[in-house]
Amino acid sequence: MERRIGVYICHCGSNIAGTVDCEKVTEFARGLDSVVVARDYKYMCSDPGQNLIKDDIKEHGLSRVVVASCSPRMHEPTFRRACQDAGLNQYLFEMANIREHCSWVHEDKGMATEKAKALVSAAVRRVYYHEPLETKEVPVNPNVLVVGGGIAGIQAALEVADSEHQVYLVEREPSIGGHMAMFDKTFPTLDCAACILTPKMTTVGQHPYIQLMTYSEVEDVSGYVGNFKVKIRKKARYIDEDKCTGCGQCQELCPISVPSEFDCGLGKRKAIYIPFPYAVPNKAVVDPVKCSHLKGLAEGKDVCRICQKGIEKKGIPGCEADAIDFEQKDEIVEVEVSNIIVATGFQQFDPSVIYQYGYGRYDNVLTGLEFERMSNASGPTNGEVLLADGRKPESIAILHCVGSRDENYHKYCSRVCCMYSLKYSHLLREKVPEAAVYQLYIDMRCAGSGYEEFYERLQEEGVNFVRGRAGEITNIAERPEEEGKLIVICEDTLVRRKRRIPVDMVIMSCALEPRADADQIAKTFSLSRKADGFFLEKHPKLDPVATMTDGIFIVGCCQSPKDIPDTVAQASAAASRALAMISKGKVEIEAAIAVVDEELCAGCKICVDLCPYKAISFDEEKKVSRINEAVCKGCGVCVAACPSGAITGKHFTTEQIMAEIEGVLV
Amino acid sequence: MEKRTRADTFVEEISASPGGEGICLCIQCGTCTASCPNADRMDHTPSQLIAMARAGMKEEVLSSNAMWHCLSCYLCTVRCPRGIKQTDLMHALECLAIREGLSSGRTRTPAMYRSFNDFVYSLGSLPEFGFMTWFYMLTNPLRAFRMIPVALSLLRHGRLSIKARRLTPEGTSQLKAILDKAESLGGAS
Repeated sequence: MERRIGVYICHCGSNIAGTVDCEKVTEFARGLDSVVVARDYKYMCSDPGQNLIKDDIKEHGLSRVVVASCSPRMHEPTFRRACQDAGLNQYLFEMANIREHCSWVHEDKGMATEKAKALVSAAVRRVYYHEPLETKEVPVNPNVLVVGGGIAGIQAALEVADSEHQVYLVEREPSIGGHMAMFDKTFPTLDCAACILTPKMTTVGQHPYIQLMTYSEVEDVSGYVGNFKVKIRKKARYIDEDKCTGCGQCQELCPISVPSEFDCGLGKRKAIYIPFPYAVPNKAVVDPVKCSHLKGLAEGKDVCRICQKGIEKKGIPGCEADAIDFEQKDEIVEVEVSNIIVATGFQQFDPSVIYQYGYGRYDNVLTGLEFERMSNASGPTNGEVLLADGRKPESIAILHCVGSRDENYHKYCSRVCCMYSLKYSHLLREKVPEAAVYQLYIDMRCAGSGYEEFYERLQEEGVNFVRGRAGEITNIAERPEEEGKLIVICEDTLVRRKRRIPVDMVIMSCALEPRADADQIAKTFSLSRKADGFFLEKHPKLDPVATMTDGIFIVGCCQSPKDIPDTVAQASAAASRALAMISKGKVEIEAAIAVVDEELCAGCKICVDLCPYKAISFDEEKKVSRINEAVCKGCGVCVAACPSGAITGKHFTTEQIMAEIEGVLV
Repeated sequence: MEKRTRADTFVEEISASPGGEGICLCIQCGTCTASCPNADRMDHTPSQLIAMARAGMKEEVLSSNAMWHCLSCYLCTVRCPRGIKQTDLMHALECLAIREGLSSGRTRTPAMYRSFNDFVYSLGSLPEFGFMTWFYMLTNPLRAFRMIPVALSLLRHGRLSIKARRLTPEGTSQLKAILDKAESLGGAS
């Protein structure tokens, strides 16, 4: 059958035309085999540009279309739609990228024009062999899974649940709340973190459309967008959640004290404990590593159980609700959802690796989170700022950029530290007004609504801002006033002097970094990671919450460090994306997928293990591989790996690829 | 392809010298100064030197005493958050200063280098006695007398050799070839 190909060269303003001679490329295209019309235009993606294509399809009876313009990531959908509108199957279209792959990366106009010609020739030869393909639609399940119960996960869960769609909220810790629950106040408005977070937490706990699964982890995700199957491990809490009233009697009785994770080790908790006073759910949990009864059980002994039995001699009862169950086992729960919102958060950089800052070697060198707990009224010091020996500090230094903006640790700026450091200064001016506060910064980055104003406020409150990064912290005094102090050594770069600042306490504004198990999470949810370790979004500007895996979204600090307002906005965005799909009720499946020729398949199963999307299953009866059309992304791994050549990638057939290569070379 | 040059050629010159590559990356945080055990003796702090160089203050930078006080302890290099090899940069500035004839009159380090280099070049070894005598001749001969007790003490402990150990003529000529090559590659002497 005769092929009638139309070729359209886009100038993209001067983006392409500035480096590539578009008229020459058009002239060249006209001479190519089967090309019946070739045109160039200033902006092919504009309405008049698209109309050129549509009109030509009708007028010249085009059966194939090539547009040479930007990356298909930008405008392939635009031009496919234009073809479709004019009655041409969208897969009979091919795009040549002469912007990102040509004009933007070359300077020599003559050579760039030659390259553009080669790319156009490749696309023309390729499109010759294109086949019309049909996309399919599958119905979607209306439920949503949210992974992570920090402010990001809480917000996303509430947004979805408020539309009366079922949400499963999975949190690894015994309570939701995440890092925000640990904070004292929040910048720049100084709302108490608990005051604005707990209403949301309790709503989550009581919401009829949210099934909260704390102390649980996602083990496995299978299926595809619209129809994921998720396996969740509910870890044994050793507490019957339905019976526990959260009265706290058990933790009063428990004789075993261990450092509290929630208080960053500054305070204690018991082996049976409620993580913090406003925990949701307000239920106890048994630490299986520390509980002496559980340790004893492993050796076949029955010890302790004071929490359960009480102290008979003193007439103190144990758990009156009979909620403690030492026989409890981990439980696997399976749920089906259409979308997954990953909100697994961050961890604080461990500053002990920066030896010269002395964290872990000197008392009174604190991390930011430790200070948050100390400053929090429900924290280990009831909100008092105290030194390790119980005195009040007379001087405090706050160090910015600990682990951030540093080649040796994390190159990126953690974005929130300038602001939370200012908040610490404010809290210190409030709680220890007689103490001198020094803030050592490299640059003050206060971009955000009301942020610069907050900086100005702190300047008025009398904080000593020193422009310089601390080189080291020492306790070796050189002058009498340094005796018994920590000396922060820095250059005050504005006066160009090396300074030794003696202080009682140092607070380090540590970087936000990807969680240690981010790699595992990435595998479970088929996510990619950026060079800095955070999860990769689909597009850094135009699609910041979606990922390369359809139906899986990332929000909050697992995507990149961000503050609470940005996190909440992103969570709401992901929720609306999920709801958009649910309200549509169906999802379109990519047609460019792999197919197995069962006659040729030898049943070696190599493809089954290689498929990154778990799309290939093995038919044990027929002994052949089978590809799930809805899951396959058409990545081509199986096509390349199949030793029998039994798998073909639709829209990427050998014929098409060879023609494309020929086109570049000829 | 036309090479893009910065308006300020002094920074270009430093960037092009071995060790000076990272000068454009500096964020002026002062970690180098804070880590430098000798910063208090310098007329300009190490980070200030970078700022001045970037402002095109060639004469002030090259006549500074700062680089001559560098002890090569490498603390700045280890701690620099931008990965700048500040120690190497200091030595690059020393080379430029010598080449431009701007080495600071307030430091004797260039004379020390001179003396060191002369001996190694001609003998292929470093007889401490002759080397130090030559150094004091070049700088302040009177200071040599003040050092006599130290010299005697070193002698007594066998730590000061008077006689030079010479390389074989073949070895000396090979070493000379190496040093000539180093100089032709931009090393100052």
